Amino acid sequence: MNCKQFQEVLPYIIETGGNPEEEEHLRSCQACSDLVNELQYIAEQAKLLLPMHDPHPRVWSNVEQSLQREGLIREGRTPRLGHLAVITEAAPRRAWTPLGLGMATAAVLALAMVLVNFPARQPGVLQGSKGVSAAVQQPATQFEGEDKALLGEISQHRPEVSSAYQDSLGQINSYIADAQKAVDADPADANAHALLMDAYDQKAMLYEMGTVRSLD
Amino acid sequence: MRKANLTAVSCAILAMGAVALAADSHKSATFTIASGGVINIENPNGSVTLHSANGRQLSVNSTAYSDKIEVDSSATPDGKRVEVLTHALPDQKPTGEELKADYDISVPSGVSVVVTTTTASITVDSVSGDLSLSSDTGQITVRDADNAQLHIRSVTGPVSLVNLNRLHAEIMSTGGNVQLVRVSGPKVKVSSTSGNIGYQGDFAGGGAYSLVTHSGAINVLLAETASVDLSAHSVHGSVENDFPLSEKRHQVYVPTQGRSLVGTAHSGSSSVELRSFNGKIRVKKQ
Amino acid sequence: MTQAKKIIATGLSEAEAIERAKGGDAEAFEGLYGLHKRRVYSLCLRMTGNTAEAEDLTQEAFLQLYRKIATFRGESAFSTWLHRLAVNVVLMHLRKKGLPEVSLDEALEPQHEDGPKKDIGARDNVLAGSIDRVNLGRAIESLPPGYRIIFVLHDIEGYEHNEIAEMMGCSIGNSKSQLHKARMKLRDLLKLSRAEKAARH
Repeated sequence: MNCKQFQEVLPYIIETGGNPEEEEHLRSCQACSDLVNELQYIAEQAKLLLPMHDPHPRVWSNVEQSLQREGLIREGRTPRLGHLAVITEAAPRRAWTPLGLGMATAAVLALAMVLVNFPARQPGVLQGSKGVSAAVQQPATQFEGEDKALLGEISQHRPEVSSAYQDSLGQINSYIADAQKAVDADPADANAHALLMDAYDQKAMLYEMGTVRSLD
Repeated sequence: MRKANLTAVSCAILAMGAVALAADSHKSATFTIASGGVINIENPNGSVTLHSANGRQLSVNSTAYSDKIEVDSSATPDGKRVEVLTHALPDQKPTGEELKADYDISVPSGVSVVVTTTTASITVDSVSGDLSLSSDTGQITVRDADNAQLHIRSVTGPVSLVNLNRLHAEIMSTGGNVQLVRVSGPKVKVSSTSGNIGYQGDFAGGGAYSLVTHSGAINVLLAETASVDLSAHSVHGSVENDFPLSEKRHQVYVPTQGRSLVGTAHSGSSSVELRSFNGKIRVKKQ
Repeated sequence: MTQAKKIIATGLSEAEAIERAKGGDAEAFEGLYGLHKRRVYSLCLRMTGNTAEAEDLTQEAFLQLYRKIATFRGESAFSTWLHRLAVNVVLMHLRKKGLPEVSLDEALEPQHEDGPKKDIGARDNVLAGSIDRVNLGRAIESLPPGYRIIFVLHDIEGYEHNEIAEMMGCSIGNSKSQLHKARMKLRDLLKLSRAEKAARH
């Protein structure tokens, strides 16, 4: 075995050890031995890097304000509309490109976090909330916003699976709505929470599969 | 005149044959791939079949069924990555059946495999290692592997896993049914929205098994020797069991008759979680 | 009970704080934040190399933590659970940015395939025993994003390759290959830094 051959397999054996031929080369070749020592030394030193930095105090302020708005801590609530506007701002939208669909996944999950703990109780406040009320009030029935855009992309690039995606998206939205209702009914129900997270994982998967192929 | 007609017909038949042959384009390629290398396969329509190879030679046999597409296979100079993909020829816009190609690929051991299809089926036979399989509607079948890392994603295609041991798997299917037969390992997680999930076996190996669905049914056919710590819970569906389980001494929640079930069998080695929203959960003795 | 497990301002243990946080106790939330903020923020900063992004991601990680805290059942250590959540938040953010998390395209970093190739059989100046951790930290920050993420997850944060593969949707082989390239790149950077320092003196 020569150095080139040894170094080709090195990534896969450096932690677990190699076969006798590879071990023999390591023993007999000073250059490769030095290389392995150095790489292992770097790895060892990295383990000793302690967490060194504290975040700016504004980070906690923002967290605290959000928790208050979502009603997760017992210091009063702000109108849901204002909070949801913040959430959608946190998932910024660019001009529509295929890659923008990937961000919809993050927005879906961000919305999930809101819906887990803050049930819709004030329909009047929601009227006129652009792009948000439909997702909040009718996840199971209508395709709006990001869902509609995803289906549009799929029907354009892969029409043969368009109906499969449409059916699946409808089913997943129903899943999310059902799980959300269960969480609303009993916020301490861990099983309901787990199902809601699973529902959002399903949605994220669908977006990822729909988006990746739309880039063909 | 008759002779001329016969000639014309013969020519037409030959021409059709030639067209058929021209449309079916067969290709073969062989690569030496490094241990730990990756093969990335993209084939929208048709089929992808993978099986194990001897030695380090990766061989790719493909058949393209239209003259609007081509199957390309290439390798990086260091032999660590091989790509096989079906693509449209310049100025062609193939759709549906015109995209169809069949792949038959022999994969050496220790090679990671990534397969992406739209409607093409994916069949993997006796290939261990890292497998990442994704199809919108194609059937996905994985058989006879040991010590595999498996990620499967499907929108509505059915998924079938048979005879897999020491498996580390995460399977997500929205509408496709997922069937597992004699599948065991340290971690097996299956999630579906409306697809049914079926398991037949013994949940062996002291692993963590999780089968979760929204509205699909979960049917478990459990071997008598299964050593499990089982919990089943459905929010609105029913839970039925005829497998003998012992009551757990310490429970996270009190099971509701007909909606949830908690118990152990033998030494309770493997943790098994069955969850649904409104699908029925059935556990039966094999 | 160790000091690390006491949330000093409140006198609560971590376990007590978690239970109270599930019930919406603001003090408990703040206590948990104080206990874990440094590790979460350092992780976010190392993975992104950007202070503003790291702050946003730290905020998002803790928000998600508090939204999900009711589902924490103590099956793993709380810090492990939080850590994993933070890693997922960062990876989701990087996917959103469209960064190649694990660059499979050899053409992007052809020089890293060279590395010791040019010196095969020859000995370089040996590095071991001479790394300044400040320089190592700087070198990590200057790694390409794909390499940095894998290096941080494996060598600093201690995730195994199968866990990294699962988180990043890549294969174990890819994870090992990218980690190796990251370490090789760091090796080059650290040697260069040492050579520059020697030249100045």
